[in-house]
Amino acid sequence: MAEPMKIRATLQGDVADVKVLMSHPMETGQRKDANGNLVPVHFIQQVTATLNGRTVLDAQWSQAVSRNPFLGFRVRGAKAGDKITVAWLDNKGEKSSIDATVTPAS
Amino acid sequence: MQRHRHRQARAAAWAALLICAAPAPGLSAGSGPQGAAKTAAPLETTQPAAARPWARYKVDPAGISSWPQADWGRFSDLAHPHLTPPGAETLHHSGPIEGDAGRGKRLAFDRSRGGSCVSCHVLGKDTPAQPGNVGPDLSAIGAHRSDQQLFDIVYDARVVNRDTIMPPWGAHGIFNAAEIKDIVAFLKTLQTPYRFTDRSEDPATRPPPVDKRDNLDATENPAMFVLDAGKRAYQRAGPTGKSCADCHGAAEQRFKSWAATLPRFEPRLGKVLGVEEFVTRHARATTGENLLMETEDNVGLSIYLRNLANGRPMRPDVSSPGAKQALQRGNALLRAKLGQLDMACVDCHVTHSGKWARGQLLVRFKGTVAHFPTWRTSRADVWDIRKRFQWCNVSVRANELPPDAPEYGDIELALALINQGEKLNSPGIRH
Repeated sequence: MAEPMKIRATLQGDVADVKVLMSHPMETGQRKDANGNLVPVHFIQQVTATLNGRTVLDAQWSQAVSRNPFLGFRVRGAKAGDKITVAWLDNKGEKSSIDATVTPAS
Repeated sequence: MQRHRHRQARAAAWAALLICAAPAPGLSAGSGPQGAAKTAAPLETTQPAAARPWARYKVDPAGISSWPQADWGRFSDLAHPHLTPPGAETLHHSGPIEGDAGRGKRLAFDRSRGGSCVSCHVLGKDTPAQPGNVGPDLSAIGAHRSDQQLFDIVYDARVVNRDTIMPPWGAHGIFNAAEIKDIVAFLKTLQTPYRFTDRSEDPATRPPPVDKRDNLDATENPAMFVLDAGKRAYQRAGPTGKSCADCHGAAEQRFKSWAATLPRFEPRLGKVLGVEEFVTRHARATTGENLLMETEDNVGLSIYLRNLANGRPMRPDVSSPGAKQALQRGNALLRAKLGQLDMACVDCHVTHSGKWARGQLLVRFKGTVAHFPTWRTSRADVWDIRKRFQWCNVSVRANELPPDAPEYGDIELALALINQGEKLNSPGIRH
């Protein structure tokens, strides 16, 4: 997938409100397809977020998170123009990363 | 291997039809001030625009949500609207009707048997959650009807009420006669009007659902990923070496209102084209790509082209004789009773709009099309309007048609006219 994430980071005071929609099948490994075969497990295992290069969120996810996960978080100490990076790593070793610039709320 | 070579041969054949001129404003049909003569957009006109032979989806593209696989060929569908025999006699009983009320209650509440009675009726104190009110409250029906009357209306309500939308549970084989006797035995136990204690359970007072989601927020609507696929397809060169962008330039400039003029009657095909089928046929005749309906590229381009015209009011052209005939056919098809459940589009969307079918509010036609293609959270996928029509057919246990069926075009045009003035707002996000 060319762009597997959508992100927006909005500044409210000194708090950046970050919303991320990820495109990922998040397969539990328990589901069967239309032909009755088990769909192999495939899920995001780790999510990290940085603010200007400093890690502010480090999450370990499991199969319990649903398909196309939405992640929302708020981080204090942000200013307009700061760079937020969100990255994930899944159980197949696939990775994705996306940047957002913190913008003031309009 | 053979199929691949066939596809290559077809792509080359379409490339030979290429008559795309160098980018020149005013030469293609579409928006913007024009002189009296517009060049019609090149279209491939001899092949189907969707997969053939048509086979019903097993699952939606994401692989999550399945489609029922039964064949309902003995009942009417949109291509064969007169197949279902009309209501005939029911089965007469000389004495009281005996049955197992416990079994009858389980059958009445069983959603797998055509939706269950609770879709349309309140059925006394044990009614499951979120009953519908398309039909009357039956909580005291056992006190007001004879056994034979109860049997008749469940077996084939058309015999009792010509204007009914109640499925012919017995005549169409959804329940057999013994099961209907059990249901009658259960209905006979319903002797007391029921008072709801929860305002949101009572369909008479249940508040309508409110949707505050921002469908154009990319962190909210996964359909925006599919819009991106459409943008990439627009830029991609096909076998002829040309992309959409090569002829049309920047889509943001070129298609500010085009999608709001579709669907439209296409005389070269004698049918109504929506955006999706137009994309298939136009791409074949220009870039050489085969962007079949219901593929991600096709749906993506449909979202992209409509999204560019967001805010424009729908204005289908119904002036031509072909369009007028299509409109007539479409309006007749909206009234055709289809499927094992014997229902027409107007039954839900006109006659009983504003009522609850189980937990879902039935809505009028107006306001139901301008947001397509839409993300469907209940399906975890994007649906264009033709897939929505296919699902409506399957929901009443009628065979669906292929997405490029002329009948769907007629219906799309009829709905577009009912919806004229509604502003495009694509991609939508809905249950």
